[in-house]
This record gives sequence, C-alpha cells and structure tokens, in this order.
Amino acid sequence: MLELSNIVVQYGMVKAVRNVSLTVGKGEIVALLGPNGAGKTTLVSAAVGILPVAAGNIRFDGADITKRPAESVVAMGLTLTPEGRRVFAELSVADNLTLGAATRKDRAGVAEDIDRYLKMFPILGERYHQVAKTLSGGEQQMLAVARSLMSRPKLLMLDEPSLGLAPRIVERIFELMIDLRKSGLTMLVVEQNATEALGIADRGYIMASGQVVYEGNAAEMVDSEDLMEAYLGAGVH
Amino acid sequence: MEYLIQQVVNALSVGSEYALLALGLAIVFSIIGLVNFAHGELITVAGYSIFFAAAIYLPSPWLALPIAVLGAMLAAILFERVAFRAIRNASTNTGILTAFGVSIVVQNAFVIFVATRPKPVATPEWLSSMLEVGTLQLPVLQIVETLVTVVAILALAVLLRRTTIGLAMRAAAKDFIAVRLMGIKANRVILAAFAISGFLAGLAAVFIISRRGAIDPFMGSVPVLKAFVACVLGGLGSLQGAVVGGIALGVLEVLLQAFLPREVTMFRDAIVFAAVAIVLVKFPEGLLGRKHELGDKEA
Amino acid sequence: MNLLLRTGINAVLPIGILVLLGSAILAFAEPYQVRVAYAFFMNLVIAIGLQVFMGNTGVVSFGHVSFMGISAYAVSLLTIPLALKKTLIPKAPFELATVHVGIVPAIVLALLFTALVAWLSGMVLKRVGGAAAEILTLALLVISFVVFNAWIDLTRGPRSLYGIPVVSSLPWAMAAAAVAIFVAKLFRDSDGGLQLRASSENLLAARAMGVPVESLRLRAWVISAVLVGVGGILHATYLGTIGPNSYYFTQTFLIMAMVILGGMRSVSGTIVGTALISVGSEAARSLENGPVIFGSKLPEMFGLTGFFLGTVIVLCMTLRRDGILGDDEFEDIVRQRRMRKTEAAAAAGVAAS
Repeated sequence: MLELSNIVVQYGMVKAVRNVSLTVGKGEIVALLGPNGAGKTTLVSAAVGILPVAAGNIRFDGADITKRPAESVVAMGLTLTPEGRRVFAELSVADNLTLGAATRKDRAGVAEDIDRYLKMFPILGERYHQVAKTLSGGEQQMLAVARSLMSRPKLLMLDEPSLGLAPRIVERIFELMIDLRKSGLTMLVVEQNATEALGIADRGYIMASGQVVYEGNAAEMVDSEDLMEAYLGAGVH
Repeated sequence: MEYLIQQVVNALSVGSEYALLALGLAIVFSIIGLVNFAHGELITVAGYSIFFAAAIYLPSPWLALPIAVLGAMLAAILFERVAFRAIRNASTNTGILTAFGVSIVVQNAFVIFVATRPKPVATPEWLSSMLEVGTLQLPVLQIVETLVTVVAILALAVLLRRTTIGLAMRAAAKDFIAVRLMGIKANRVILAAFAISGFLAGLAAVFIISRRGAIDPFMGSVPVLKAFVACVLGGLGSLQGAVVGGIALGVLEVLLQAFLPREVTMFRDAIVFAAVAIVLVKFPEGLLGRKHELGDKEA
Repeated sequence: MNLLLRTGINAVLPIGILVLLGSAILAFAEPYQVRVAYAFFMNLVIAIGLQVFMGNTGVVSFGHVSFMGISAYAVSLLTIPLALKKTLIPKAPFELATVHVGIVPAIVLALLFTALVAWLSGMVLKRVGGAAAEILTLALLVISFVVFNAWIDLTRGPRSLYGIPVVSSLPWAMAAAAVAIFVAKLFRDSDGGLQLRASSENLLAARAMGVPVESLRLRAWVISAVLVGVGGILHATYLGTIGPNSYYFTQTFLIMAMVILGGMRSVSGTIVGTALISVGSEAARSLENGPVIFGSKLPEMFGLTGFFLGTVIVLCMTLRRDGILGDDEFEDIVRQRRMRKTEAAAAAGVAAS
C-alpha cells in the first residue's frame, strides 16, 4: 500500500535518511523502531510530504506521491499523527476534530464519525468544548489520533504515540491500535518502545544512523534477544 | 459637553480606521510572520480603483464602495502571489524589506502612470453630511465608520470561529505544519488571510478617501505605520490586540489633538509616539500580549 | 592573532578597492560624478553605522537616521556665522544664537551630543527586543522629525537652515568610510560582537552563558549612532544647507535597503548593497530626467528611481532571501573559494593516483 524506495532526505549537507526502502501492506501494522536521531521522524515526515526527498521514490495506493505536498497526500488517505501530538492548543476539542475532517465534504458522515470517536474516547466527549491545551498529555494524544482518523485515512502513520505518557495510558494507546486494525486500518507506528510496538505489529524495521539495519517478522524480532540487545538496547525490559 | 461627545465620536472613528488596518496586518503576521508594510498600498489601490472606475464609467457613487474593497482584495492577493510567496519562511527582516520594495514599486507605478499630484475622488455624498441630534452635530462618516468597523470585526470573529477556513487560520497561526497534515492547503489559508486583510483595508480606504476627498500615490504610507504601531501596542500577532491597539492609538491621537494647548499641538505625534514607547517598555509583548519568559514551552 | 591586526588585514581589501575607486573619480571624473561618489561614500558611512546595530542585534532600526539629523543640526547650529544666525534663528534657546565655534570642535561636540542622545535612548531601548524595540526606534525617528519641524526657534522648522561652512569633500567622505568599515569589522569580530550576534540567534542560550545582552546592545547602539552621526556631518558640511525632510522615511528606507540587500549580518554585504543601490538609483535618475538617446530626447519619467529601487529590492529578496552575500564577509568568500580549490585539487590527486 505504501512503498518507500531508496529514500534520501537531507538537511543542508547532512543526510538524515540514507537510501531507505520500506513497505507497508494493506491491513498490516508495521513498527518502525530505532534510537533517537535514527531518522524515523524524518522518514515519515518525508513520506507524508512535509519534508522534501532528495532522492528515491514514494508510492501510495498505486500512485507516485514523491513530489506531492502534505495536504494532497493527506487528501489521498495517507495521514500522519505527528510526534509531540501537536493538537491545536488554542482551539476546542470540537474544532480540532472539525479541522481533522477538513478534506471531507460529507457533513453527515463527519457528524457520524465524531459520534463514533467520542464513544471510542469518552474523555474527549467530556471535554468537547474545552480548549485543547487544558487536556492532559494522554488526552491530547487521544485527540491527536481521533483528529487524524477524522480524515478517514487508509493508512495512518503514528509518530511516537506513547512518548512521555504514563504506562497505563501507553497500554491504552496500544489497545486502541489493535481495535483500529480490526476496523481495517493500516498503520505504520514509529516507536522507541520496541517490545510493545512489536507486540502488536506484523513486521518491524529497525533504523540506525539514517539507514534500515534490520527488517523482519515482528514475532521473531521480539524473540531474538541479540537483535533487541544490539539495536534497541534500552527498549528491552 | 457637546464638544466632548463630538470628540469621542471622532476618536472612535479614527480608532476604528486604525483597528481595521491593524487587523489586516495582524492576520497576515499571525499566519506567515510577515509585517506587510505594503498594506498601506492596498488603500492606495482602492483609491485608484475608484478613480479609474469613475474615469471609465461609474453610474452611481454607491458602486465606489464595492470597487474599492474589491480592488484592495485583488491587490492583496496579487502581492502575495508575486512577491510574498517567494519569501515564505524567510526571516522577518527579509519580509519587511520585501514589503517595502512592493510598497515603493506600487507608489511609483502610480507616479509614473498617473501623476504625483493628488486627484479628486468622489464617494457617496451622504457620507460627508452631518447627522443632527437635537443641537448636536455629528459627521455621518464618523458614525458609519465606527458601525461598519464593529460589524466587520464581529463578522471576522464569526468567520474565525465557525468556518473551517477560519479555524484553519487560527490553527495555522500556531502550527502551520499540523494544519497541512489535516489536508488543508497552505496556499488556501494564506490566500484567505491576504484576502481578508485586503477586504479590511478596502473598507478603511473608503473612509480614508471620503475624509480626504482626494487620492495620491503616497497616501498609504502614514496609515500603515499607524497600523503597525497599533499592532505592536496591542501585541503583535494578536487579533484582539490589533483592535485594542488601534482604538487606543486613535483615541490617544484625537484626544491629544482636542485638548492639548495650541502651541503644543505641533508636537502631537512626538507625544503619541513617546506614550507608545513608554507602554512598550512596560509591556514589551503589547497590552494584550501574553507575558512569557524566555524558554517557556509553547503550550 | 591580535584582533586589531586581523581586522586590519581583513579590512584592507574593501577599503583598498574603495580608495582606488574614489581616487580614480577624483582624478578623472567630472563634478557631477564627484557629487555622486560623495553621496555614495556618505551613504556608505551611514549604512555601515546602521549595520553595526542591525547586523549584530538582528533588530531592524527605523531610528538611525535621526542620529544623522541630530549631528547635522548640532554641527550647523555651532558653525553657522553669527550674523546669519541673527536672521535665521534669532530666538534660539540656550544662547545658541550667540555661540560660534570652529569646525573641528563643532564636529567633536556634535558627535559627543549624538552619543549622549544615543546613550540616553539606548538605556530605554536595551531593555526590550523584537517588535517592541523596532517600534521604539520608529518612535525615535518620528519624535526627532517632529522636533526638527516644530521647534522653530531652534531649527527654523521645515524651512531649511543654511550658511553651514562647506568644508567637506570627497577625500573626507572616503576617509570616514574607511574608518567606518574598520570600526564595524572590529566590532563584529570582537568578543562582544560575537556574543551579541549569538544572542540574536538564541537569546536564552546566550543569557544562559552569561552574555551581558543589554550592555552589548547599548554598546552597539551608541557606536552605530556615532557612525551615522558622522554621516550627518558629512551631509551638512557638504551641502551647506539642511532641512528636516532629509532625515525621515525616504532616507531611512534607502539606508535600510542598502544594509539588508547586501546581507544584513555582513559588513561587506553592506558595501555591496550600498554600491548596488547608489549606482542603480543614479542610473534610474538620469533616465527619469528624460535622457537623450540616439539624438532624440525621451520624455521625463518621474517615479522611475523609486520604481527601479523597489523592483531591485523585491527581486533580490525573492531570489536571495538572506541578502546578496548572506552572512559572509569578503574574506570568508575568498577563503571558501580557496578551500574549494584545494578540495578539488585533492580530489583530482586521488583520482590520478
């Protein structure tokens, strides 16, 4: 569904992503792992079109989207929930969700989806008219995910959804991803929390210093202690 | 008493004019960080739009109003397309200089193709009539200007709260990338900001032109400076701040003009700017600006 | 290496070129061209003065031209012959109508007064940064303009003040420009200049390292004001007559464009920007007056200078947003070119072996 081939992303003279290839198949959850500074966020940002790629090719749903700007990629159904959540702090929960549906014309469907996600995330219903900055970190993460879902993506990329959240909430986020997969959503999850991420994923990639250093079956990766030790160090509990 | 009421009405109308202009500056600044010094030229373009329309054919002076507003909006969009789009995300100083460049080009284009001398321009006559309430005489222009400004600000508030593009503009002021991740086109948001700033400048232009009765190529330079001062006074980038700053500046100017002793009125602008300077030393973030310490996390 | 020596070496190239240029004009050019060259060197002094503040603090200043006005008025009030003063400004305050000093002490006094005003305004200005600081400089410009215009007993208001001894000439302007370039480069490369530039990039980090941002801002402000003041003296003592309109927005924008166009953070950039705008405006001005081309006189086109100036600014900024030289000085460019050459040579050597 998503194919990244030989992607290079540069910041000035520095290559943050070097020749990375990665695929996500329909219905899969793929985990993208690796330490800080490995280039994971850069890669997904480039995939969604926020950062320009210096070389390589991005295909989504059969179309070449390498040079497309983020707004048109999102409209095609490839959405990113960015690192650090980035909810619109000054806007209400309701307005955040409305903006999430900005690409859609079907008002009835949007209202339906809002209902659905308020049921899925009851806390957002309680805080429906509050400005987003008054929400806790976990609540903001829920809002960010719900906001992304409002565009009815075919493939959702989640960048560090568990970052800075309490363990109980992290657990809740991963349960949520399992639920979403049941409803047919394809996902690419960027995580430092390797064990949990591989627990729900079908396949995994490990990046280090801008390159993919390993890819494989998620279950096998969790079992391979050497691998976890070598590349993910702190990820092992 | 009558004198006082007259001066208050006058102060509100001047304050409204500054508020309209400052709002336009603020809405563009809040989204792309550009201090658009070519904003004053939107007034000039509005004025010349009426002038050209009258030269060709203008069946009713009423039509001058939509023509002025439309002219200013189109000019704002054109400035963005031709000059400001190329310097998106550049430093503030690059933006300021580019805007100066645009402003100088427009001013001199009118000098070259029309003339340096002021040209008379007619706006509807009723705008320059007087409203009599008992013994009190009030200029219709001032009352209409204040009312129109109030309506425009309310309409803008509704737009920013109730429409998707309005929400997107408010969101973009804080995090443009996240807005694009919603699938909202950056160009559309910026275009909307410029169109609104042009609309507001066009409204202000109608009143400025009615008051002066004439247009000239440099008529926009003083108003834009006042608007800039108003914006910073209220808190740069804050829309409420722009309105408050504009009205405060207008009221300050008119009251000083009205109540200063005659021999000091020549120094009025110096006093106004000194007052603004004192306020800014006390409140560097502006009257409505949130005081934040360096290194505070953005919420 | 010693800072003075290093700055001296780095300043040799631009100063040398400018002096050669000026000498050539002195030797061969016609009076009109000498006047143009004088204006160039004078504007260069002012632009470099402005660069010292804007380039190091990152704050746009609308107010520097008022220092040009202050020093110009100060030197004029001290040097206009007493007989003339009686008719021009008989009621001048502070007994100024009866005071007359020689040109050299007058210049020194004028610069000291400019420095004093700069120091006083700087004490206020140093406390704020960003947009608030910019409005404060704007306030300074407006206030000084209003005073020049409205304090008629002192300045004769909008009518010009004349009778200032015309003592300046091209060599003086060249010398002033050379000194200005040296001072600006010295400040830029000094510890204080570096710290100030760092603080304009990241105020919090600079403060955390103990950079005394306020006092450095004040220092930059006063040095730049005095340099601009020198420009004001060059202005008054060349024309012999001054009026408030020379020290207002037109001049402000012109100088600001010179500084930003070439690359605000670099002294060399200011030289390039000043040259470009001076030459361009002069060419456009001759077109404006209706030039004679192939024997036929073209019509006059007022507004062409401004139109040209604006177009060049917009084009330059849209094509090179950080200015023509960006952050680089001439010596940086020479060094980079040399490095690239050695790299290329090394690469060729590797390929050959």
